[in-house]
Amino acid sequence: MAEVSAVVKPKPRPIIRVGLFLISHSLVVSNVCCIAGVLALLLLPVIAKNTYISENALMPGSASAMLSSDDASDGHVFLNKIMSISSMSINTGIEIPEMIAKHIIESGGEVNYHKFQPISDHFHPLQFFLGPDAGIVQENYSSTSYGVNTVGIVRAPCGDGKEAIVMVTPYNSVKPTSSEALSLGVAYSVFSLLSRVSWLAKDIIWLAADSRHGEHAAVAAWLRDYYTLSSGDLEKNLDMCSASSSPGHEVTSVKRDGVSNGFRRAGTMAAALVIKVADSSSGFEKDGLKIYAEASNGQMPNLDLINIVNYLAVHGQGLQVRVEKIWSLLDSWWLYSLGELQELIGKVAKSLNPQWKFGIPAPDYVEGCATLASSLYNQALGVPTGPHGAFRDYQVDAITLEFSPRFSTSQRVLFLLHTGRLVEGVIRSVNNLLEKFHQSFFLYLMTSPSRFVSVGIYMIAFTLLIAPLPLVAAALFSDASKSKSPGESIPASTSWNWLYAAKTVLVVHLWGAIVTIIPHLLCQIPNSSPLISLLAWITSSAVLLFFTRAASGSLSLSRATQLQTREWTLLKAVTVAATFIGLCLMSVINYATAEIGAQLLVPMCLMAVPLRVDLTAKTTKTVARGACNVLLVFVGFPPTAFLLSKGALAGFDGVRLDDFWNWIESLREWNSATYLYICMVHLPCWVLCVHILLHRR
Amino acid sequence: MEDRSTIGSWRNKLGFWKWAIASVFFRLILTYFSKNLNLSSRPEVSTPLTSLRRLAEGYWLKQLSMSPYSGSMYHGSPLLLSILGPLTVKKIGGLSGELLCSLVSLVADFISAILIRATGASLVRAYLHNWKSLGLDKLFKGNEVVPSGDVAALVYLWNPFTIVSCIGFNTSAIENMFVVMSLYGASAGLVPLAAFGWVVSLHLSLYPIVLVIPVVFLLGYGLDAPPRKLFVQSNLQGEEKRSACHAELKSMNDKFSKTNFSWWRVVIFFLWASVWTSYVVIMCAISMKEYGGLGEMFKRTYGFILAIEDLSPNIGVLWYFFAEVFDFFRNFFLIVFHVNILFMILPLAIRLNHRPCFLAFLYLAVSSMLKSYPSVGDSALYMSLLVLFVNELAEMQFTFFLFCGYVGISLLSPVMHNLWIWRGTGNANFYFATAIGYACFQIILVVESVSAMLNHDRKIRKLCNKV
Repeated sequence: MAEVSAVVKPKPRPIIRVGLFLISHSLVVSNVCCIAGVLALLLLPVIAKNTYISENALMPGSASAMLSSDDASDGHVFLNKIMSISSMSINTGIEIPEMIAKHIIESGGEVNYHKFQPISDHFHPLQFFLGPDAGIVQENYSSTSYGVNTVGIVRAPCGDGKEAIVMVTPYNSVKPTSSEALSLGVAYSVFSLLSRVSWLAKDIIWLAADSRHGEHAAVAAWLRDYYTLSSGDLEKNLDMCSASSSPGHEVTSVKRDGVSNGFRRAGTMAAALVIKVADSSSGFEKDGLKIYAEASNGQMPNLDLINIVNYLAVHGQGLQVRVEKIWSLLDSWWLYSLGELQELIGKVAKSLNPQWKFGIPAPDYVEGCATLASSLYNQALGVPTGPHGAFRDYQVDAITLEFSPRFSTSQRVLFLLHTGRLVEGVIRSVNNLLEKFHQSFFLYLMTSPSRFVSVGIYMIAFTLLIAPLPLVAAALFSDASKSKSPGESIPASTSWNWLYAAKTVLVVHLWGAIVTIIPHLLCQIPNSSPLISLLAWITSSAVLLFFTRAASGSLSLSRATQLQTREWTLLKAVTVAATFIGLCLMSVINYATAEIGAQLLVPMCLMAVPLRVDLTAKTTKTVARGACNVLLVFVGFPPTAFLLSKGALAGFDGVRLDDFWNWIESLREWNSATYLYICMVHLPCWVLCVHILLHRR
Repeated sequence: MEDRSTIGSWRNKLGFWKWAIASVFFRLILTYFSKNLNLSSRPEVSTPLTSLRRLAEGYWLKQLSMSPYSGSMYHGSPLLLSILGPLTVKKIGGLSGELLCSLVSLVADFISAILIRATGASLVRAYLHNWKSLGLDKLFKGNEVVPSGDVAALVYLWNPFTIVSCIGFNTSAIENMFVVMSLYGASAGLVPLAAFGWVVSLHLSLYPIVLVIPVVFLLGYGLDAPPRKLFVQSNLQGEEKRSACHAELKSMNDKFSKTNFSWWRVVIFFLWASVWTSYVVIMCAISMKEYGGLGEMFKRTYGFILAIEDLSPNIGVLWYFFAEVFDFFRNFFLIVFHVNILFMILPLAIRLNHRPCFLAFLYLAVSSMLKSYPSVGDSALYMSLLVLFVNELAEMQFTFFLFCGYVGISLLSPVMHNLWIWRGTGNANFYFATAIGYACFQIILVVESVSAMLNHDRKIRKLCNKV
C-alpha cells in the first residue's frame, strides 16, 4: 500500500522512503533480523549483568544475626516433638497443628486455625484481559477431607500493624517427613526469636500450611480467605475456622489457651518466604540453597528479594546457592563449542582494545545457557514452581527457599542455626522496607543466582525476531495490490480486497477459540485415558475445522473467485499480520512464551509459499524451500514440537504421545496463558500456514 | 435499472435480515453471560458519564429524596434517570435490572442499525443519481455498487465494540441511537425528527452539538454529492442529453436542488429544535425542581464534561495529561483541548460542505478522539458511518494497516490495564501508551478517509471534463 502512495506523490517523506526501502528489501532484512534474533538470544548469558541490591533501605547483613544456638536447639526440640507425633500410630491430622499452636502461644504469638477445602481452580480464559473475579463462590463444605492450616502472628512492637511478612512452611499434617519437620523447626526457631525482638516494624505471619491437598492449594486457600473474607462473613464461616474435624475430639483445651476462632489478619504483605528442606542434597558440596521464583504466567518476584537471599546466603552463611537449570544441556557439545567461540572472540577483542571486556569462560557460558533455558521454560510454562506462586496472584513478592542439608543427624542444630540466621536476616532486611518492593526489576531472566538479564535487554532478541513480520506483511500486501491492473476508470475496491483473506484468518482464529474449549468438555468424560482424550481432541478439532471451512466457503461474500490468482499472497500477508499481533500480545502477557513461540512461528510464517508454486518451478532453490516448509510445518505442530524437544532433552526412549495431553492438561488446570497461546495463536497460524502450503494456484 | 439489479444481487448475497437477527441472538446469549464477563467495570466500555451502575446509584439517591448528583457519582441526564432508573432496580419474571437495561441497549442498537440502513439506502440512491446526472453512468458497466446501508448496518450490529458496549451496561447505545436518528431525519427530510434527535443527543452527551452543521447542510443542500459546480457545468454541457428518459429523476433533482440552499427547511429545523429544546429543558426543570434546579444540572453534567473532573483512566488521552498538569495551567489547557475540536469544524465544513453525511462522520470521529470521557461505543458509531461511504472510499489507503492497528490496540489495551492494575508489574504509562496508539490510529483513519474522499471528487471532476 505504501508503494501506491509512492506513485501518487513524486517525493515522499524521508520516513516513508526508509519504510519503502525496507519493504522492497524485505527478504534480506527478514533473514538478517531472524538470524540476529536467534544470536541475540544465545548471547544473553554473555551480556547478563551482575545482580545488585537496588533498594537502599534493605541494608542486608548490616545487623548481626540475633538467632543464638539456644533458639536453634529450641527448634530442634520442637522438631523432635513433631517427629514423635508423626511416628504415633493413630494420627488424625490435628495433633501437629495443635502442638504448633501451643508452641506459638507459649512464645507469645497469636494463633488461629484455618480450615479449608481445596477448591478446584476453574479455567478463566479471559483473566488476562479483565480483572480477576472478586467474589469466588464458597462451595459447600460437605466433603470429608479438610486441611488445617495453622497461622501464628507476632505483632510488631514498632509497627502500626499495617504491614506483614509471611513465612510459609508446607508440611503434611498426617505424616510429615523428617525434612518437613526440619523446615518447621527452622520456622519455629525464627518465629520464637522474632516474638522477642524489639526491632520488628512489620507483623510476622507464620503459616504452617497443611499440604495434604497440595502445597499450592493450601497456601492459595489461606490467601483467598485472607483477601476476600470480610468481617460480615466471619460468623458464617466460624465453623470453617475452628479445627474440629474429628467428632469427639476435644479442642476446647487449646481454645481456652487463646486460640482464636476468627480469622486473624495482619497488614498487607510485604514479602513472603516459603521455607522447604530437600530430602537429599544432590550435587551440592556444602549446605545448599535452591531458589524458586517463577509464579503463574511467568511473573517473577522483585529481583531485590532474590538478591537479599543470595547475598545473605553466600556472604553470611556460606551456603551454595542455585537456581534451576536444565541438566541435559550441560553436556551438549554444540553449546560448549559456541561458548568457546564467544570466549575466543572476547579474547581477540581484548587484544585489540583492552577496554572491551566481554566473553566469559566456556563452562560458565554453558552453565548460564542451561540456567537461562530453564528460566525461560519455567516462565513460559506459566505454572508456578512452588507455593510462592499463590502470593504473586495478590501482588506479593514471594520465593521458595529449598535448603539441602548435608549432614548426619548430629549436625541438625548447626543447620538450624545457619538457615534460621539466613531467614532472620532476610526478614530483618524486608522489615526495613518503607514501601513495597519497587526499585528493582520485575521482568527478568536469571542466568545464575547472581546474574540476570533485564527486560530491556532480552526484549531485543524478541524484537529482532518479530521485526520482519510487519515488513513482510507490508511487502506482500503491496505486491498483491500492484498486481491488479491499474487504470480502471471506476473505483473498484482494490484497497479493500484483503477483506476476504481477513475473513479466512478470522474464521480460523474463531476455530482456535473453540478448540480451546474442547478439553474442558473432554474432562467431563469419566475415566478416559490421556491418549484417548488427546486423539479425541485432535479428531474433533479436525472435524470442526473441516466444517468451519465448508461453512465459511458457503458464506463467502463475493469476489472470492476473482481474487483466486493472488489470493495466497494476501492470505499470507494477513496471516503474518495476525501472527505479529498475537506474538506482541503474548509478549506482554508472558514474555518467555512469546520468545519460544516466535522461534517456531516466525520462520514458518515467513517461509510459507504454496508447494505447487515451488514444484512447478523445479529449481534447486524452490525445491529446497518446499522441503524447508514441510519440515517447519512438521516441527511447528504443537504436539510434535513438544515431543521433539522433550526427546532432545531427555532422550527419545521415554517419550510417549500421551505426555502431550498431560502437559496441556496441567497448563489448562493452572490457568496458564501458554495454553491460550498454543490454542488461539500458534495453532491457527499453523493451520493457516498449512492452508497456504496446500493452496491451489 | 441495471444498477438496481446489481445492488439487488449483492443484497441477496448479504442476507441482511438473517445476519441482523443473528446478531440480536448473539447479544442475547452474551447478555445471559454478562455477569461473568463483568464488562460494566471496564474503563473502555463504561465511562463516568455512561455507566448504568452510576445511574442506578443516582436513582437510589433520588429515591431517598437527595439530589441524584450529590456525591459526584452520577453525571447523566435527569430524564434518563427517570426512564432507566426504575429498570435498574426492577425485577420482572426473574430478570435482573441489569438484564432489562441491556435489553434496552439491544433495542437501541437495533433501531440505530435500521436507521443507518435507511440512511445508507438513500445515500446509494443519491450516489447513483449523481453519476447519472453527471452523465457518467455508462462507466458503471461491470462494476457493482455496494449497498452501503446494509453493509454499514451489519458492521454496526456485528462490530465487537458495539456488542461490548451493548452488554456492558451503559447508555452509549442510546446516545448513539439519537445521533443516528438526527442524521436519518436530516437525510430523509424529516425535519422534526432531525431536530429531536439532535436536541436529545446534545442533551445526553453535549458533543453532538457540532452535528448542527452537517444537519443544516443536509437539509439545505440535500444528500452527499460531488462538488456543486460540476453539476452546473454538466447542466450547461448536456442539457439536451438527459431530457425524456430521466423525467422522474429530474423532478427529484429539482427537489434536492444541488445548486440552491433551501433556507426554508433550515429555519424550520431551528424552529423545531427550539421547540424540542424548551421541552427538554422544562422536563429537566420539573425533575430537578427539588434538587437545585437547572443550574445544578448543567454544572454536574456539562460542567463535569468540560472540566474533566474525573481522572480515572480511560481510552482517551486527556486523563493522563490532566493528572500530570500543574493546577494553575489547568484552565488554560482545558480551553486548548476543547478548542481543538472547534478548530477543526470550520475548515472541514468549508471543504466538505457538499458531503454533509461524511462531514458528520468526521465530526463524530474527531470528537470521539478528543472528548473527555471516550468509550468504544463512540468508535463503533463512527466506524459504521464510515462504511456508509464504502463506494466513495474504495481507494482509501492504509486500510489493512488501520484494521490491524485497531485489532491490535483493542486487544493490547485491556492486557496493559491488567498489567498495571492487577499484576502490578506495569504502570500507567503502559496503558497510556495504548491510548496514544489508539488516538494515532484514529487520526490516520480521519486523514486517510478525507484524502480518499477528496481524491474521489478530483477523479469525478477529471471524468466530467473528459466526457
